Amino acid sequence: MKPIAPASLRRLAAFAVIVNGLFPLFWIFLTSLKTEAELTRVPITWPPHAPTLANYLRAFSDQPLALYLFNSLVVALMSTALTLFIATLAAYALARLNIGYRDLALGAIIAVSTFPLVTLLVPLFQTMRTLGLLNSYGALVLPYTVLSLPVCTLVLISFFQTIPLDLENAAMIDGCSRVGALFRIVVPLSAPGVFTAGLLAFVNSWDEFLLALSFNSATRWRTLPVGIMLYQGEFAFPWPEISAALVVGIVPVAVLIVLFQQRVISGLTAGGVKG
Amino acid sequence: MTNNLARDAGEADTHNVEREGDPIGSDQGTVQNKLRAAGEPGLPRRPTLRPRRVSRAVLDASDAALARVLLAPTFLLLLLIVVYPVCRLLWTSLLDLRLAAGMPARFVGIDNYLSLGTDPEFWTALTNTLLITLITVPAALLAGLALALIANLPFRIQWPVRLSLLIPWAMPLAFVGMIGGWFFQSDYGVVNDLLRHVRPTRIIWFNSGWLSFIAICLTITWKTCSFVALVLLAGLQTIPNELYEAASVDGAGPLRRFFFVTLPLLRPAIAVAVIFRMITSLQTFDIPLTMTRGGPGTSTVTLAMYIHQNTVDFLDLGYGAALAVVLFFISMGVTTLYLRQVRSES
Repeated sequence: MKPIAPASLRRLAAFAVIVNGLFPLFWIFLTSLKTEAELTRVPITWPPHAPTLANYLRAFSDQPLALYLFNSLVVALMSTALTLFIATLAAYALARLNIGYRDLALGAIIAVSTFPLVTLLVPLFQTMRTLGLLNSYGALVLPYTVLSLPVCTLVLISFFQTIPLDLENAAMIDGCSRVGALFRIVVPLSAPGVFTAGLLAFVNSWDEFLLALSFNSATRWRTLPVGIMLYQGEFAFPWPEISAALVVGIVPVAVLIVLFQQRVISGLTAGGVKG
Repeated sequence: MTNNLARDAGEADTHNVEREGDPIGSDQGTVQNKLRAAGEPGLPRRPTLRPRRVSRAVLDASDAALARVLLAPTFLLLLLIVVYPVCRLLWTSLLDLRLAAGMPARFVGIDNYLSLGTDPEFWTALTNTLLITLITVPAALLAGLALALIANLPFRIQWPVRLSLLIPWAMPLAFVGMIGGWFFQSDYGVVNDLLRHVRPTRIIWFNSGWLSFIAICLTITWKTCSFVALVLLAGLQTIPNELYEAASVDGAGPLRRFFFVTLPLLRPAIAVAVIFRMITSLQTFDIPLTMTRGGPGTSTVTLAMYIHQNTVDFLDLGYGAALAVVLFFISMGVTTLYLRQVRSES
């Protein structure tokens, strides 16, 4: 078969994909290195004339950016751990046990993956308000768990199905209980799957904005997207600081993606995905 | 309770004895079957099994019970965070519940829904939401298809292209909205800087409703096309190379191969991507809020933003709930399409 296009054209196309995907991030990085004076120059400059890290220092000192990072991290890790635990149990039941309502249960979980989170806003706002949970980690952890549960369950099912049944049976013959076999054999062997599901859950929580803005708007409890968005005053837009804060907020996720891109891609494929 | 347990154990025991009498039992899931499945037919069954006979039998007999235990947390969570809230949402939408007024909740029937009809901002929000869906979903599909086709080319080094699809997908929508706001900034934005070379006028994007709307749609399309590309790339990789070779042998050029091999086989992936995109774009909130806050005026308000505003800012929960119910049913319509698609695939 003839190649679809000459090598030079293919390389050009790849370059276009890379520019399309990375330019906005690259641009915000360049912005974060410029001084306020340079940013308000017309015509705009492309590479910074006098690169400086001052914006990063100010992003951390003028606003509690470290607190926002910490809040995002706590909420994301808590909901990821909870999601993984619940999804592991459910996925095992759906992948391995002989139950009559399997398709129905799976259908319910898939349906939830398309559930519009916005509709939870009003009733959860009422509940959190009554329970006094507005402005707390708890207000976000449970909804985020629901947000990621379907994808994680689907990813885990597809990984569990690749573990040979024999291994599990051997463990049970050696006196392991069924649940013991799940946690000693199936989970360790599908570690890549558990990790992939965890990555997806983490990114989901890290990115969520609507509920975080609605429930946790007090400074102490803001997650990164909410905190950075509220940097903007009514009229003043401190772009140098905001762009530095955005870079800081993207780095953790970007590092995960760079290190584990193959995992993420396989997880997206197995999980039927949600964007 | 104790009685039941005793009876269960007794039954399990008898069951087990019966099986021992008939080692080649046809029951799925018996111990013997599992052993055979494990490829150990010659294993001396009795001595190994005897000490744990009862517990093993109970475990086996109670696949269903174990499944209930394992699935319980999932369904408890869904009951608590999905089913109960949806019921409460439907109920709240029938109430006059304005927390700011400090009045107790009053049942008003479908009054909230009737007010929707005469609320111009609701119609603006609904139109904007539907327009965003109608514009950005096909745009992201086309752009995503192009990205996926390029990413699927046999490059020696794959990771830069993959990374360029994953980074936009992983970026928080709210971040993308803020970056979009900076890109389209009229004086110092890079978009106007690039446009300067084409047409030397300074466009003030965020002073005009429709220019703001275009900027938002472009930003959403950029953000979401990488997600579409990742789904389609996964689909492309399931297409066996032999099909292309066979098509080539039959004299099909690249265009024909694309339309007669790639596109038809990519259909399921396209359907999944489009439906997920539709559902999420009906909920568009983060990008318009961070780019324009719905302005100028109310020209770029979406349904989700209007729900948020009524609920969190005005504390008019009854009206917010009615708005959410409308969005819920639109979204359910799309979900039905999705489930039909999943079913037809399997």
